Amino acid sequence: MNGSTMAIGERTDAVDVTSLIETDRVHGRLYTDPAVFEQEMAHIFYGGWVFVGHDSEIPDVGQYVRRTLGREEVLMVRRRDGSVGVMSNRCAHRGNLVCIKNQGKERYLTCPYHGWVYDLEGKLRDVPYPDGFAKDKSEFTLRALRSESYRGFVFASFDKSVPPLVDHLGKATILIDRACEMSPTGRIRLTAGWSKQRFYANWKMLPENDTDGYHVNDVHASFAEAIDSQYDAAVMGNETAIRSETKDWGNGHTELDFSPTYDAPLKWLNTTPQRFPEYTRSMLAAYGEAKGNRILRNGPPHAVIFPNLFLGEMNIVIFQPVNVNECVQWHTPLLLDGVPDDLNGRIIRNSEAAMGPSAFLLADDSVISERQQIALRDRADWLDISRGLNRERVDDLGVIVGHVTDEGTNRAFWQHYRKVMTADTRAGIRPVARSA
Amino acid sequence: MGTSTMTVADQADRTEPVGLEEYHQISGFLFREARLADESRYAEWEALVEDDMLYWVPRGDGEFDMNRDISITADNRSRLRTRIRQLMTGKRHAQVPVSAMRRVVGNIEAERLQDGEYRVFSNFILHELRRSSTATVEVWAGRVEHRLRRRPDGSLGMFFKKVMLINGDEPLPSLAFII
Repeated sequence: MNGSTMAIGERTDAVDVTSLIETDRVHGRLYTDPAVFEQEMAHIFYGGWVFVGHDSEIPDVGQYVRRTLGREEVLMVRRRDGSVGVMSNRCAHRGNLVCIKNQGKERYLTCPYHGWVYDLEGKLRDVPYPDGFAKDKSEFTLRALRSESYRGFVFASFDKSVPPLVDHLGKATILIDRACEMSPTGRIRLTAGWSKQRFYANWKMLPENDTDGYHVNDVHASFAEAIDSQYDAAVMGNETAIRSETKDWGNGHTELDFSPTYDAPLKWLNTTPQRFPEYTRSMLAAYGEAKGNRILRNGPPHAVIFPNLFLGEMNIVIFQPVNVNECVQWHTPLLLDGVPDDLNGRIIRNSEAAMGPSAFLLADDSVISERQQIALRDRADWLDISRGLNRERVDDLGVIVGHVTDEGTNRAFWQHYRKVMTADTRAGIRPVARSA
Repeated sequence: MGTSTMTVADQADRTEPVGLEEYHQISGFLFREARLADESRYAEWEALVEDDMLYWVPRGDGEFDMNRDISITADNRSRLRTRIRQLMTGKRHAQVPVSAMRRVVGNIEAERLQDGEYRVFSNFILHELRRSSTATVEVWAGRVEHRLRRRPDGSLGMFFKKVMLINGDEPLPSLAFII
């Protein structure tokens, strides 16, 4: 290679991202350049906090789920002491996949290749034919990621030195609180399994599109024509009549806040309190009249937690990058603890209506994203995200607020992205063989 | 080939085998249903559907409970009507233009339930040209359970279609057509 050599593991930021992101526009290359994708793996998916799953998915000791963080295979495990850990799903011996099932329950995790046995903490406990293995077993583990959780939402990082999760979440803990407070007990349950939708498009189109209120009239015109829903008033009306807002919560966390549009309880569920009297009563009992009524009227958040979690009203969504041209959107209904089964049943049916490959909404979003990926393929230059710069305001929480059709959410995503992509991080460096 | 080979042996309690003529009619129904779906002839396809229809695409052929597990699709008659109405707006981007599709239906096993109703299992392979975006060919495959009912005019209608994709629990591209 022109005589130049590069040590394995040495990171070079191949792309000067700052030249591709301005306040009011971003460059098309950000969606199509494999070098940008590699940099995202290093800086965003291996160098920062990434959402893994919810602890309600693994209530019992020994339960695990398989997840992909960036391109790394990991396991989220309920450990023997009841805590939740996130560890590499790669055997410390020869690097085989330890668990192949998407979820399971085990006392020990055994690699199928040579039978190395790990405990639920990832410590190597046993190797077959031990007489020939003279090394200290304690040096071999399923590599633990740094993990922290907030109200059961488990995040992990490959960078042990990353600042605490609450620093990353910042004000967005309010959004997670709002999701949990849809339950009278404050607890949610992600137990319905995950539906997975493949997009032949760059992963960043998912967080961008999920908090883009401007596309709804066009991309979802067939939905509006076929169905009467709460979205008619919330995001599809006349520009001056719509009261919903975009919100930039900081650190790349963004929201479409539909609540200013909702003038009665349970509009967000396209129903009424009379239909779910027990839920309504229990919410008022749990939170008091004032706050209970406010929750029942405002409904759940519609917000992206940077980089890969979407609190999609009564859905929880994960963005999984695959390569620069492909990604997967996972979704599961946000089921509520302490409510009648018929309410959770309705949440499941609503989830299928909105999200996933055959949904009234997302089937169209994926195709539109794929068309964008096709159009950006080669020589695309600048894409405009200036909409609403002329009418932003800052609320008393320091949140930047705009009209729901404005692009403040996209600007918020990209400004944080630029900061993360240019920050100094060592976590993205591929591990180098250390000589003793 | 005796008629008994056309039954679903492992579910034969409370059910009866079907005769050759019934088997021929049932197969014809499945082929016609497949062709109308392939050609996105929504109104004609919908005319095959009974009022108590359930159109269900679970996440594969495992043990899924529609009331506890998220499905790919779980349409009662009303939601199926909405689905077709949405497709017929001409603005359902995921099917504009409609996918070019052909499916092969085979391995048909039928049994008679009570009251002129039938349970039918079949396998299918569907090739789909995704004209609405990538212009690539997707392959869909799986097992289908139909439940059919004889109508007063002697024809068959369906009141249950469950499509068990072999990859239902893996990432799927947009599935806005009738599968």
